[in-house]
Amino acid sequence: MVEDSEVISVFNDQGQSVELVSVDEWVADIDGHSASEKGVLVVPSDDVELLQGSLSKVTLIVLDFASFDDGRGYSQATLIRKRWGYEGQIIGINAHLDQLQFMIRSGVSSYQLQEQYQGTDESDYAHGYSVCYQAAANNANMKQKF
Amino acid sequence: MYQYNSDDTTFLVERVDQFEKQLDRHLAGDLDAAKFRSIRLRNGLYLQLHAHMLRVAIPYGVLNTEQLRALADVADKYDRGFGHFTTRQNIQYNWIDLPDIANLLRDLSSVGVHAIQTSGKAMRNITADPLSGLTKDEVEDARPYCELIRRWFNVHPEFSWLPSKFKMAINGAKLDETALQIHDLGLNIVRNEVGELGFASYVGGGLGAAPMVAPEIHSFVPAEDIISYLESVLRVYNLKGRRDNLKRLRIKFLVREHGAVNFAKLVDEDWQHGKNDPELKLNMAELEKLKADFALSIQPLELNDFKDTIDINYSIWKTNNVRAHKVSGYSIVNISLTQLGTAPGDATSEQMRMISDLADQYSRSELRTTKRQNLVFPHVRNDEVYLLWKALDENDLASPHQGTLAHVVACPGADYCDLAKAVSIPIAQRVQQRFDDLDKLFDIGPININISGCENSCAHHHIADIGLLGLKKNEEEFYQITLAGETLHETAIGRKLGRSISGEEVVDAIEKIVHLYLENREEEENFVDVFKRIGIAPFKERVYG
Repeated sequence: MVEDSEVISVFNDQGQSVELVSVDEWVADIDGHSASEKGVLVVPSDDVELLQGSLSKVTLIVLDFASFDDGRGYSQATLIRKRWGYEGQIIGINAHLDQLQFMIRSGVSSYQLQEQYQGTDESDYAHGYSVCYQAAANNANMKQKF
Repeated sequence: MYQYNSDDTTFLVERVDQFEKQLDRHLAGDLDAAKFRSIRLRNGLYLQLHAHMLRVAIPYGVLNTEQLRALADVADKYDRGFGHFTTRQNIQYNWIDLPDIANLLRDLSSVGVHAIQTSGKAMRNITADPLSGLTKDEVEDARPYCELIRRWFNVHPEFSWLPSKFKMAINGAKLDETALQIHDLGLNIVRNEVGELGFASYVGGGLGAAPMVAPEIHSFVPAEDIISYLESVLRVYNLKGRRDNLKRLRIKFLVREHGAVNFAKLVDEDWQHGKNDPELKLNMAELEKLKADFALSIQPLELNDFKDTIDINYSIWKTNNVRAHKVSGYSIVNISLTQLGTAPGDATSEQMRMISDLADQYSRSELRTTKRQNLVFPHVRNDEVYLLWKALDENDLASPHQGTLAHVVACPGADYCDLAKAVSIPIAQRVQQRFDDLDKLFDIGPININISGCENSCAHHHIADIGLLGLKKNEEEFYQITLAGETLHETAIGRKLGRSISGEEVVDAIEKIVHLYLENREEEENFVDVFKRIGIAPFKERVYG
């Protein structure tokens, strides 16, 4: 066992720290990680299909939106939330202010903004548009036109 | 035609407000250049050589006169009094000051016009046959489908940050005026053996440095499943498209990498799920509403006693610019914005207003824009075509060159665009001057010449009879010539003639090519027919020999 390996964790909606494992780690020991209530960290290059069969056992899912122009996280969130019906927490980390509404509508339930956005009014971006033109994982509080 | 309602207006206002805040943050140093670039492009704004360029959408090429007047006002208020109609049914302004942008967009949103997703890595403006709904032999009017699909992919939460831009065209006519197979995704409206309406889909076409003709991926997607189908194509692209190699970002590389059959399988696997999602079925009630919105407002006319005016110039113009309308008693009139000595596709604000007045008077206040950078008056009474011609002629807009070699398609080129390697417009003007003898032009017949100033291929040079691509060698401008590209009957990328030719000599080379064609032409053969029959060798010999 490596003593100084960095344990990645996030705080869940209840404010408790949850330890994260990678998709590969999760798949290698689903029952073990599920028993210890680990969350799964998904990065853009991950194949989320690997999670499909065991979603009901996942405590929470973290998606990484660090790269502004890499839109894979939105498809990953949509598949997990809309197609496979995952009802647990999906946290978007390294989030960008200008993309909050895209994340939320794709099924992300809470987010952690990058530091550079401290002090900017989030609500302008989290609820930027009041009208939407397509079905999505989450169209709450939007007037739907399609 | 379809008019925006209060929901659409609300959305446009919110979009402009948000963009203004983003601009303010950028100017205050709180939004870095890379992210602001990504955002401004999705709002149609480019940073060009001399100023900012704004690309405004004319969705599927349909425009009313109120909108065209607003576009003219923008040209005066925020630009230098003109706009540039592009090959993809957009209009561009080349001299925009950044701080003006929000007010400019507000002015446009008041008439239902916007610049959303006219650039950037998202679904671009959807193009359609400019004669949609006007001709007899069409399979189906593409516009209601274009509008529903446009809406669906407008600021789509999942597909707004794709690996690259995504251009779509929809054709409902027998002949393909949209060049479907050079698009990232082209939909051809078809009927199956039991007469049901659907779409044949072609994915992975494109021009640029690696031109590719899109293969057919699915031969029949039922109309009600088109949304789930498109989502599946975009999801496969979003998740599997290359993001690591800047030269391999477009979907054509993904299709090529997997092959058409395997790419179709990937789409199918995803589509099996989406197809059954009731939320993703095309909204048929809304479709019917849109069909009613787009329904023709004209009734057949009995013009039994009408005899058209005899006038030699009018007749020449009419031959090249007027087509039969599906409603008897009406004509479709094409006007060329490409005048001798002016930049292709450019229109002054004065011209835009004059055209608006004429469209109010003669064409039910409606206009269309085309891939060849023209404007169309869609519904002109046969007994008023002459009056319209006279009015156009008085304003120097009755160019009889439409459909002849002098009607050159060109991008803004190095005079305006910082991507361009060479000038386009001056070459187009020199071609026009070289061939400005009308008798000669009519003898030559319809030959397309398209000039792109760089590999981005904005002027679609790969699909022209004679295509020119601007290059730079040792600070000097050269042009690569391609021959016999086509899209109307089948899609083919033009063949490279040989080594590139200097700007000084390129018009001579074009003249040699045209003469060789004329010497070899048999009966009604067009340029591509002759090229296919005699091959490229005689053209090489004539130009380089």
